Amino acid sequence: MKDTLQKFFKIDRRWIFLLLAVTLIVPIVKPLGLPNKSISQATTRVYESLEKIPAGSFVLFSLDYDPSTRPELHPMAMALVRHAFSRNLRVGVVTYIAGSTGLIEELFAKVGKEYKKTDGTDYVILPYQPNILAVMTQMSSDLYGIYSKDRNGTDIAGMPVLKGVKSYKDMSLVVCVTGTAILDYWVAYVGDKYSVPVAGGVTAISQPGYGPYLQTNQLKGLIGGMKGAAEYESLIKQPGKGTSGIDALNLAHLLVLVLILTSNIILLFVKYF
Amino acid sequence: MALDTSIIAGGWLAAGLTIFLFSFLYRDNPFFKIAEHLYLGAGMGWLFQVSVNSVWIPKIWEPVSKGELLVIIPSVMGLLLLTQFIPKISWLSRYGFTFMMGYGSGLAIHAGLSTDFMSQIEGTIRPFSKMASMTPFDIFSSLLVAGGAICVLFYFFFSVEHKGHLKKVSNVGIYFLMIYFGAAFGNTVMARFSLLYGRFDDLFTFSGGSYFYATHIILAAMVVYFILHGLFAGKKDAAEEEAA
Repeated sequence: MKDTLQKFFKIDRRWIFLLLAVTLIVPIVKPLGLPNKSISQATTRVYESLEKIPAGSFVLFSLDYDPSTRPELHPMAMALVRHAFSRNLRVGVVTYIAGSTGLIEELFAKVGKEYKKTDGTDYVILPYQPNILAVMTQMSSDLYGIYSKDRNGTDIAGMPVLKGVKSYKDMSLVVCVTGTAILDYWVAYVGDKYSVPVAGGVTAISQPGYGPYLQTNQLKGLIGGMKGAAEYESLIKQPGKGTSGIDALNLAHLLVLVLILTSNIILLFVKYF
Repeated sequence: MALDTSIIAGGWLAAGLTIFLFSFLYRDNPFFKIAEHLYLGAGMGWLFQVSVNSVWIPKIWEPVSKGELLVIIPSVMGLLLLTQFIPKISWLSRYGFTFMMGYGSGLAIHAGLSTDFMSQIEGTIRPFSKMASMTPFDIFSSLLVAGGAICVLFYFFFSVEHKGHLKKVSNVGIYFLMIYFGAAFGNTVMARFSLLYGRFDDLFTFSGGSYFYATHIILAAMVVYFILHGLFAGKKDAAEEEAA
């Protein structure tokens, strides 16, 4: 009996890979519709920060993620932009990750059309800029000193979306969605320094590290990983890729729990019986 | 709705590269190598074009063409960094590094002290100034945060030998650290599953009729390859054994 159980620990790990693949693929092919019942306070705080801004205010989105973190961050960026457009906020987009430009275009082509928003009037996408700290510092005094044209080469001076916006003091909120440390820069070099409200959306890996900033209110709110994206989609009542991913995540986590429990029970059995 | 040919081709490429890279989980194979090399080459090419199109042309070439000659100074200082590779004149790179160090330190020291040091101390202490208006749970929470911070700091204080009460305090600090690491690891697992889900979701999209069943065809081809490779490799091994 013990020898049979011992074999469990020498199982070819490719069987576990296959099991995991099946667990994740099944809910994609046939969605189970498992509910996402808990909404964290940190996500709710982001929602409330956007909710209390008066219509027509200017919100800056720093969308700094590339295809490597797309499954986690793209759904939350999409939900955030949908929320901003539904509240008729003016939206500006900057990016400091060159690989995100295509994803930003994709996002605004889809969401802009949904809400009938016009480029230049309701939103503006500024081009990728290297040297993030220099750009952040320059934007504190004059936005046009560092961004004179949008990503298509059109002059941004005189664009209706930027009317009355010259520096951070004219922005109601900065929201950074990133899988890098760029959110730290927004908190340290912009939020704290110029008293601009900063909220964020990050990958699940980086989420625990931002707890201290949330506690001190240096971050107004935080969306973490695909779970956070699903929470935000629930708050704006527009289910998307984040919500559909919850099925797969729930099942995968169950699989991990079952594997951990099974192996520990077998280990105890082998050791003590 | 019929998709554009370039989108269908993109779907085939994405599905193929994803399956080729995942195939390594079963066994090393030439398709995985192709995808790996292609990824490295494409990554380098992408970085090069970003440097040219987003840095060199707009930040140096265009201003200089318009007569803004001041940008030549930082450009030359940047180029001086490359003298690191020529030992005889490598000292020139110090000028560029000096500027970067000064600029970086000037920005980072102030922000670091304010954001990560003073604000965090303030955030830990502040709740105690309004205890009268706090709920019992909030008071407990504030005490837990402050206690945890002190215990963890003690764990990292190495100038006093950890024994007696100090050892107990630093041991409690270890438990707080372990809770953090556990939460971080749990979140890491969730993040990895999310990424895997993202790839599978794309593969499912490319398996549709509008993409001419790209995922199914490529996956089937890979399975056939592994079966044939297994058969021929098996025969080859047997022949070699016989010859020996």
